[in-house]
Amino acid sequence: MKPGRVIGTVTLSQGAPQFRGARWLVVSPMGKAELTGKNSGLSQASTPVVYDNMGAGIGDEILYVEGAEATQPFENPIPLDAISVAILDNYTYAPPVGDA
Amino acid sequence: MILARIDGYATATIAHPSLKGQKIVLCTPIDEDGRDAGMPFAAVDPMGAGRHSRVFITTDGSWTQDTVHDKTSPIRNQVIGLIDAL
Repeated sequence: MKPGRVIGTVTLSQGAPQFRGARWLVVSPMGKAELTGKNSGLSQASTPVVYDNMGAGIGDEILYVEGAEATQPFENPIPLDAISVAILDNYTYAPPVGDA
Repeated sequence: MILARIDGYATATIAHPSLKGQKIVLCTPIDEDGRDAGMPFAAVDPMGAGRHSRVFITTDGSWTQDTVHDKTSPIRNQVIGLIDAL
């Protein structure tokens, strides 16, 4: 699972039939600077598009999973690389001070 | 397997059902000298690792599907060891 901030949505006019009704989020992965609040904007990391069935909106902080496990919730094969798994209520993130 | 340091915790009301009751930690990958080595990530933690403790993490989704008793769980990362010495 990786933390990320939802920065947009994608809609498709045509797509694989398995994607009927799917909702897609554009996510900015959150690194150290974003998790500690030093950077409230976009991170430098490239932005994945993530399947969403939780109803996350722009500005929400979520956890998403990349890889083959993303397809695990589905009964039938689906060509999916990433899926949202949690909308964060709260989090703390504080690396030890003075560590590299 | 990833070496990591627990740097935070997260809570989520809206989440995949397999995350219900699971503790979610935010961790930073570390190298063999304990220095930070990459982007932070989240994992489920059945072991109750303390803040800034060093842990051993599996990214094996099928293992986690077993331990959360949910074959439909997409969760991959799980704390599977607390490190004494590195």
